[in-house]
Amino acid sequence: MTAVVAAIGHSGARRLSVLGGLARFALGTFRASSRLTRAGRWVTLRVLISQVRFTALQAIGLVTFLAAILSFLVISQAIRTLGSYGATNYIGTVVVVAIVRELGPLLTALIVVSRSGTAIAAEMATNRVMGEVTALEAMGIDPYIYLVLPRMLGAIISVAALMILFDGVALTSGFLAASLNGMHFSRYRDIVLATLSAKDIWLTLGKGLVFGSAVALFPSYHGLAVKAGPTEIPQAVTRGVVATIVAVFVSSAIFVVVASG
Amino acid sequence: MSGSPVREARPSWLSTALKWGVPDAPPLVYAALDLRDRPDHPDHRFDLTVEAGTAVVAIGDEDSGVGDLGSYALGLRRPISGRVEVFGAPVGALPYYDLLLFRRRIGYHPVGDGLLQNLTLRDNVALPLRFASDHRLAVVDDRVAALVEDFRLRAAAALRPAAANEEDRRRAAIARALALDPDLVVLEAPFDGLTGRAAQDLLDKVRRRDDGSQRAVFVTAQDLVPSVRRMMDRVIKVVDGAAVEEKP
Repeated sequence: MTAVVAAIGHSGARRLSVLGGLARFALGTFRASSRLTRAGRWVTLRVLISQVRFTALQAIGLVTFLAAILSFLVISQAIRTLGSYGATNYIGTVVVVAIVRELGPLLTALIVVSRSGTAIAAEMATNRVMGEVTALEAMGIDPYIYLVLPRMLGAIISVAALMILFDGVALTSGFLAASLNGMHFSRYRDIVLATLSAKDIWLTLGKGLVFGSAVALFPSYHGLAVKAGPTEIPQAVTRGVVATIVAVFVSSAIFVVVASG
Repeated sequence: MSGSPVREARPSWLSTALKWGVPDAPPLVYAALDLRDRPDHPDHRFDLTVEAGTAVVAIGDEDSGVGDLGSYALGLRRPISGRVEVFGAPVGALPYYDLLLFRRRIGYHPVGDGLLQNLTLRDNVALPLRFASDHRLAVVDDRVAALVEDFRLRAAAALRPAAANEEDRRRAAIARALALDPDLVVLEAPFDGLTGRAAQDLLDKVRRRDDGSQRAVFVTAQDLVPSVRRMMDRVIKVVDGAAVEEKP
């Protein structure tokens, strides 16, 4: 019995310790932004642009495709099902609540995690194993400034932009699905616009900020935590990606609670 | 006509950081270091002072502990016992961010060059100027161009370390160590695999500061070619954990 309690306690303490480490890591990254040098700002901006190109621009095709397919499927099924009950007015609720508020941000974050989260974790772990992090510290360069900050800013901008793209494509594709199922554009537009509110814009931006931060912070944290050597790199990537996915879902649930409060 | 009062320029955070330490203290002091992790040999402690403007080399076998001296000087590791002072400041006791700032007074070449693999040699040289100085970008670019020229890196400047030859990588790593014109340079095995002439050329550049004065240089190595050895002011051999003075 004591052993069971001890095992639970040990596991809980380890998780709390990781959470504490993550909180310190996030704080260190935010503090780093105030210590950027003049030339460093320009270089960080260049790295940030390159990060946005890789994270957002190169993912536009995939996000557009998935948003169009998802919206087409959901709206087609919803119109048929709701139509049989004479409740097509609720199509706007399905579009806004299911796709714009929940599935859009979640799927966008998952796409970015699978493409960029893995790359960030692997890059950070490799930097650590190759001694490049120590080399930066030896030069008096804060690794948070050079490695983490541009990636975090890039991920926030990219995730927010891709979410807006996802929502736009989903609404357009929803119209296509609705018109194929006999709904006129003006009716679809009126129903959707009646359901959309300013809160949806704030929620999208808020989720972009939180999910984007998670997409960069968790993989960076687990990547830089590598100590043993190259064999630990795949494990760090797995830990970083899994932790990000959990964080995205948990924070999505928190958004629901906060938004409904 | 009364002129406007002259306002003294507010010192930047970097210039404040560079003033840390004790004025006129020697650039580098190792006192009673235990390099061999042998508490039963209290007499075999490593003591060494690198005076301003001098070039000192510590030579020793792989297991002599000489390879740790560089990282002790940078505060990257702490010695088991004894103390290390850089410009009078106990580097091992400085908090992390203070230590980061303080390291900007020290140029460092780690074993195996420590170049960042995803940057070109030019960007590696520029790194400390961009992120560890408060110069404007135009000044940084001029300084990098001068270093690339001085270290004869023009042909290889656009290459990444993996595509460059060993001598160019070494030149870039040492140019990076000198980018901020530091008061003290610590070089770990900097001349391994280089010809005597290339090593002499590099050591000559390392010793000269931008204002023409001599810089304090501390080199650790397993061995040194005679021509480079003769350029040193002091040669120290680490024997059984203690420093033994030899002729340059």
